[in-house]
Amino acid sequence: MDSEDDMMDANDVESGDDDYYSGEMEHDCYSDDGDYGEDDADYDYIADNLEEADDIVSRLQQQYYTVLKEEDIFQLQEDDILNVSAVLSISRVAATILLCYYNWSVGKVSDEWFANEEVVRKTVGLLNERVVQISNVREVICGICFESLPVDSITSAACGHPFCKECWSGYINTAINDGPGCLLLRCPDPPCQAAVGQDMINELASVEDKEKYDRYLLRSYVENNKKTKWCPAPGCENAVHFTAGGGSLDVSCLCSYSFCWNCTEEAHRPVDCGTVAKWILKNSAESENMNWILANSKPCPKCKRPIEKNHGCMHMTCTPPCKFEFCWLCLGGWSDHGERTGGFYACNRYEAAKQEGAYDEAERRREMAKNSLERYTHYYERWATNQSSRQKALSDLHQMQTVNLEKLSNIHCTPETQLKFITDAWLQIIECRRVLKWTYAYGYYLPEHEPAKRQFFEYVQGEAESGLERLHQCAEKELQQFLIAEGPSKEFHEFRTKLAGLTSVTKNYFENLVKALENGLADVDSRGACSQTTTSSKEPVASKGKNSKCKGGTSKN
Amino acid sequence: MQASRARLFKEYKEVQREKSADPDIQLVCDDSNIFKWTALIKGPSETPYEGGVFQLAFSVPEQYPLQPPQVRFLTKIFHPNVHFKTGEICLDILKNAWSPAWTLQSVCRAIIALMAHPEPDSPLNCDSGNLLRSGDVRGYQSMARMYTRLAASPKKG
Ligand SMILES: [Zn+2]
Ligand SMILES: [Zn+2]
Ligand SMILES: [Zn+2]
Ligand SMILES: [Zn+2]
Ligand SMILES: [Zn+2]
Ligand SMILES: [Zn+2]
Repeated sequence: MDSEDDMMDANDVESGDDDYYSGEMEHDCYSDDGDYGEDDADYDYIADNLEEADDIVSRLQQQYYTVLKEEDIFQLQEDDILNVSAVLSISRVAATILLCYYNWSVGKVSDEWFANEEVVRKTVGLLNERVVQISNVREVICGICFESLPVDSITSAACGHPFCKECWSGYINTAINDGPGCLLLRCPDPPCQAAVGQDMINELASVEDKEKYDRYLLRSYVENNKKTKWCPAPGCENAVHFTAGGGSLDVSCLCSYSFCWNCTEEAHRPVDCGTVAKWILKNSAESENMNWILANSKPCPKCKRPIEKNHGCMHMTCTPPCKFEFCWLCLGGWSDHGERTGGFYACNRYEAAKQEGAYDEAERRREMAKNSLERYTHYYERWATNQSSRQKALSDLHQMQTVNLEKLSNIHCTPETQLKFITDAWLQIIECRRVLKWTYAYGYYLPEHEPAKRQFFEYVQGEAESGLERLHQCAEKELQQFLIAEGPSKEFHEFRTKLAGLTSVTKNYFENLVKALENGLADVDSRGACSQTTTSSKEPVASKGKNSKCKGGTSKN
Repeated sequence: MQASRARLFKEYKEVQREKSADPDIQLVCDDSNIFKWTALIKGPSETPYEGGVFQLAFSVPEQYPLQPPQVRFLTKIFHPNVHFKTGEICLDILKNAWSPAWTLQSVCRAIIALMAHPEPDSPLNCDSGNLLRSGDVRGYQSMARMYTRLAASPKKG
């Protein structure tokens, strides 16, 4: 059975790309095909098709994103620095400063530079000559501690403003502990803009500070680069480089965590990012606490980090390196304010927008929470239940991989490679729990005024739920008897067929469900009767038909 | 701690030496604590604060001059960038634009400059900011002048 072997090998390669599981199973070659009877044909056929589909998916994934390990990031950054340094004929340090300033866009750096080198030098602080000359003196007064000190304990940036090395260390230490703004550090002399680059940091900072600085430098390469983001999984240090927008925004890190590229929340198909954000905000509601956050912190309009308002004035300045200045009320740039916004303390951009309803969303959200707490609780409980059920499935899968598969293999004299159908089933359960979970957020925000849609949605959701329950039940409970069995049995073979069949049916059903929901249930004629919509809507229902063969064979339960 | 003390002592000596150099600023170090200072500054001429003397309180952190001092008005003042109740001052060099090359003396100078050139766009005093931003310069000036007379005029005795 060569084709079987090939299939397994293909799986081997792919398991690393799998969303939830980086395969640790051994895939020994085997020649004994005695375990395969004729009624495996269905399973093989379906499995082959699924493999093909998986192949395409993984190839597409390769095209639209790459996972970067720390050494990859470091290498890419180094390449960019050397590139700029060579093209502009400037030092490595100067190239780094330029790239930091222009958010690691090599193109932007050279465009600006060759358009007007003088202006760029001035804005970035790369001076051509000193502004202060120290000549023929033995002692100089440090501009920070005001001590008169021997020249050899004094140093300065390209400008020449003299500060003693101790004060420099303190200055650099303060900047590094203030955050990534230290990457664009300037001379301490107030009007002087001379850049303080990595060479000075290396000379003057403590070992610990240098490490922090290097860390910020690496981070800035990821964080200030629009096409790169950190994997949000706790403890994971990989980044994902996203190239071109295919359809999907879901990416999977090498650590097996899947997340949405756009909002970096856990992968949430079929629900869109906005709904997820609303839902998460809603869930974080000990509602008073939530209201406080709504009232006292807003995302910086430029870098989106939450900014807490703890001063009286509306003039907000984001923390370095962003430093974006904006108006608390309208979140507009501060530079747009002043006379033009009406001359009143109450920013009328805000007032105008409020009248147009742009700011009503938060209000409405609060209203809704009050009016339909019960409705919310209904959806939340189901969302949370699927969430914890998914967690449980993850640990069950782990238990399976570490203990039970080996046990089953021994009891039933079956190579572990042939037990992959069990792992597949669990991976499918985990994925389906995730999707099902999010359908509850979807349902919560489904408009009330479209009853046909709602009805249809609840129908397909219900079908999905019971299909998943059947699969989960089979993988969890029905498996138990085979763990305590004395030896190989025909029943185990039947169990294999059933579980593999359920897995593929459920997989299909959920894939179609995801498509239909992402489509906004567009197939549903919102004026039509429910009975019509359920039969006329092709996607989720058709999938049942397509796999009826499989389903027929497994509906013994 | 030692560095900040040494630096403050330098500033103290400088202040002693220059006592008559800047007639608008009188910086005084607390008798028992070199980290507490007060300053008397004269309201700049041709402003509603002219003729007034305003008291500032400095609280200097141990990380000074790497961290800025905290400064507030002890004297009531009607100014868009000063909180009317607490005397808190909205001035960039006291926040993220601070540089360790600044001194208490130069902070005083910056505050005097702020008195002469209010920035109604970052108001800590809404009433005052409103008046200026709505173009009611006379309204703002008369309020400011009134408070200067009431609170900042040197009393005899
Ligand atoms: Zn020094
Ligand atoms: Zn300088
Ligand atoms: Zn990761
Ligand atoms: Zn998202
Ligand atoms: Zn920002
Ligand atoms: Zn505004």
